[in-house]
Amino acid sequence: MTAETQSATQTSEQLDLQMLVETIPAMVVCALPDGSVEFANRAWQEYTGGSLQQLRGSGWQAAIHTDDVRGFVEEWNASLTTGKPFAAEARIRRADGQYHWFLIRKALAISPNRGSDSSLRTLIACEDIDERKQAEVRLQQSEIQLHAFFDNSPSMIFLKDREGRYLYANREFKRVRRTTEEHIDGKTDNELFPAEQASVFQASDRQVLEAGVPIEFEHVTVQNDGQHTSAVQKFPLFNADGQIYAIGGIVTDVTERKREESARRYIEENHRLIVETASDAVVSMDDTGAIRFANPATMRIFGYDPTELIGKPLTVLMPEFMRKMHDTGFRRYLASGQRHINWQGTELTALRKNGEEFPVEVSFGELTRDGHKVFTGFIRDISARKHAEERLRASERTLRELTETIPQMLWSAEPDGAIDYCNQRVLDYTGLSAEQVRGAGWMKTVHRDDIETMARAWTAAVSSGEPFQQEFRCLRAADRAYRWCISRALPLRDQSARVIKWFGTVVDLHDWKEAQQALQMSQAELARVSRLTTMGELTASIAHEVNQPLTAVTNNGSACLRLLANRNLDPEVLRRALEEIVADGTRASAVVARIRAFIKKAPAEKSELDINEVIQEVLALAGHDLGKNGVSLECQLTTTLPLVRGDRIQLQQVLLNLIMNGMEAMTGVTVQPRALSLESRIDESGNVLVVVRDSGTGIGSEADRLFTPFFTTKAKGMGMGLPISRSLIESHGGRLWATANSPHGAVFSFTLPAAGESPS
Amino acid sequence: MTAASLVFVIDDDQSVRSSLKFLLSTVGLQAETFESADSFLHRKPADVPSCLVLDVRLPGLSGLDFQRELATRNIYIPIVFLTGHGDIPMSVRAMKAGAVEFLTKPFRDQDLLDAIRVALDRDRARREQDKEMADLRQRFDSLTSREQEVVSRVVAGMLNKQIAAELGTAESTVKVQRSRAVEKMQAASLAELIKMIEKIKAPSEKAS
Repeated sequence: MTAETQSATQTSEQLDLQMLVETIPAMVVCALPDGSVEFANRAWQEYTGGSLQQLRGSGWQAAIHTDDVRGFVEEWNASLTTGKPFAAEARIRRADGQYHWFLIRKALAISPNRGSDSSLRTLIACEDIDERKQAEVRLQQSEIQLHAFFDNSPSMIFLKDREGRYLYANREFKRVRRTTEEHIDGKTDNELFPAEQASVFQASDRQVLEAGVPIEFEHVTVQNDGQHTSAVQKFPLFNADGQIYAIGGIVTDVTERKREESARRYIEENHRLIVETASDAVVSMDDTGAIRFANPATMRIFGYDPTELIGKPLTVLMPEFMRKMHDTGFRRYLASGQRHINWQGTELTALRKNGEEFPVEVSFGELTRDGHKVFTGFIRDISARKHAEERLRASERTLRELTETIPQMLWSAEPDGAIDYCNQRVLDYTGLSAEQVRGAGWMKTVHRDDIETMARAWTAAVSSGEPFQQEFRCLRAADRAYRWCISRALPLRDQSARVIKWFGTVVDLHDWKEAQQALQMSQAELARVSRLTTMGELTASIAHEVNQPLTAVTNNGSACLRLLANRNLDPEVLRRALEEIVADGTRASAVVARIRAFIKKAPAEKSELDINEVIQEVLALAGHDLGKNGVSLECQLTTTLPLVRGDRIQLQQVLLNLIMNGMEAMTGVTVQPRALSLESRIDESGNVLVVVRDSGTGIGSEADRLFTPFFTTKAKGMGMGLPISRSLIESHGGRLWATANSPHGAVFSFTLPAAGESPS
Repeated sequence: MTAASLVFVIDDDQSVRSSLKFLLSTVGLQAETFESADSFLHRKPADVPSCLVLDVRLPGLSGLDFQRELATRNIYIPIVFLTGHGDIPMSVRAMKAGAVEFLTKPFRDQDLLDAIRVALDRDRARREQDKEMADLRQRFDSLTSREQEVVSRVVAGMLNKQIAAELGTAESTVKVQRSRAVEKMQAASLAELIKMIEKIKAPSEKAS
């Protein structure tokens, strides 16, 4: 258009200039040599909406955007002074106030009066370049945006020409390479990277150039902070002729992503492994209620192969009665989010493939994926636990039944001694209610005389934690009679040995105690019979013991009578004789008393006594027999023995039995001397030990049978002496045993607890 | 009674010993008491008629054993046994072994005194017999050996002639020797001489 205008004006007349200008469809301004406007064509006037007068001089410049005026005027002035072609871009205000970009330039200089500078007219054409300008701005903006994108990209982005020279590198590239644009532009990889790396890059560049398609690969580099993995994309850039003129590259450091990926894969693998190897069945269901996944444990628990479950409704794993409930609850949940059961550890009934129902504990989880809900259930077969619980309950029931049906009274107490439970037997026996027995209420049933000892014993046990045992008389409701009972209790302790409970029993001993007394009586009777037998064997000795003083009495009496008959009345002689009579009479009666005591029928009566005294008393009875049988007696009695608690007669009996046995065992002995020794001392345990040794025929292989009733080695023996002796010693809390003597004979020993110890 | 006699009492019981001594004293019998058989054996034998009152049940050696022991020692002393209890087999053994009496304690005083008297009489008689025998033996020992040869043949019932022939001597010599022996033996007659010699020849026919 401009060229057209130029050629037209060159051929037209000066006067026709204005008309010519008017015909140009572009906006044209005619300027005088001083720069002022002579006139503007209609297009200009129409565009700017201004009159010609307003434009005259430099007034037209008012239509130019204030931001552009300064540049425009400078350019204009420069053109005027230098005469160089004038061109400027500026926004010109339209009549409606909007600005449009125009390219304003000198189109034609006309000199109507040749040679006169003042007649020189310059036509200035204003070409509307607004659209191009707008496009330029948009392009610029887009370029800025691209740069922004590139520079803000976490990837390195670059452009190289076919020769491998860098045309562009983004900020990340420069950051990573620690360099600036100047250092990169026009450089090749050889100059920027180590040779090895550079050759790798160039190889891939060649690949792109040859194939003409984008390629992707991963590249590993070592940077200051360690090994980095990069995802590299390279692609060709084509020109209008379809020729590759450049290679673009995007290098993304995926080290972190790789690491995250690996971690995620690890976690996923872990989860998968957990699910696969879980002993619980893990079943996932989608929001249609269909099974989407089942782990191997499902096979073991339900009997289904996991694959055959896929797509089936979850309800196949439920017994009939639960299915509807599940469906309803599930639908309601999907609709309202309202759960119909607890999702954590709910106990339900499940159905195996073989139709067997079994108890399970189920926990659910929910996950939304792609807008769809997935539910995963962890199903644990608790049949075994249920069985165990059932067994435990049964065992508890049995135990409770046992405590209630056992024919014994049971109770328990708090650590402070307060009764907190007793079984029905106690209530039946005492006639009290459970409430009445509680605490210390049970004391009401204890006999008045036993309350104090009972309370003391229980308090002592509770404060020391020692086992409790006490006999007491308890009032039996049935016959309102006090009966002997024994209560025992043991503490239950926690791990720190603190008493947390007492468990006790009460046993009615009354009948047993009576039976025991009867038994004691018959034992005593048997012992007495045995003593009588022993006495029978001792008659000669006893007769001798009694007859000696009697002989002395009669001798003295006879002598006195003879003196009287002869009227020989020396008072001193008579007095002495009578004194002796009295003394011997007393002596005889003492012997008789001792024998009577020995064979009298009396219950055992224990008192504290000196065993050496008992030994002496027995020797007084049997000593003579020893002498008669030519047995020498040796006594080693420890004088400082503790007292023992026992029945004197019974202990005499035992000793007498052992002495007589020893003596009899020696009657057949002629070769070696007949020696019997008696020893008393304290043994290692602090008990009083009495040992009777003989040098007789010994016990040989009969040792075991010696204490068997009716076993005897004697022609006339009853075989009860040793069994009775042993039972007597044992009733004293002691022991009686036999061993062989060296070189001949037997040793019989017995122990008795020292009286200081608690009597058992 | 007879002061020249002695009663020995062995009993382990002091009362019994002293009461016996007292009782015996009331009848004029002198008694010596011993606690055991052993202590009695240590005493030198009595030279007057004596007897032993012995308890069967003695400590150490029993009464019966002691009786046997005395016999083996040729001590001939009459024994009166005392026992606390009638024990027939024991008393039979004691009596067979020559016990004078076996009394059960307590006994009647007269029974004991009677038994002691019998025992003392028996001991006295034994002692007299022993003395007579000792005289005869002494007289017999005073004969010459030829006279003893002659006497023993006379007792055997040989005639003077037979004796002379056997001894190779004259009958008259035998007569002289025989009358000398009668004289030395203080025999009243030949018959008494024969009795005396027979006593000597069988001395152990009656022991106590």
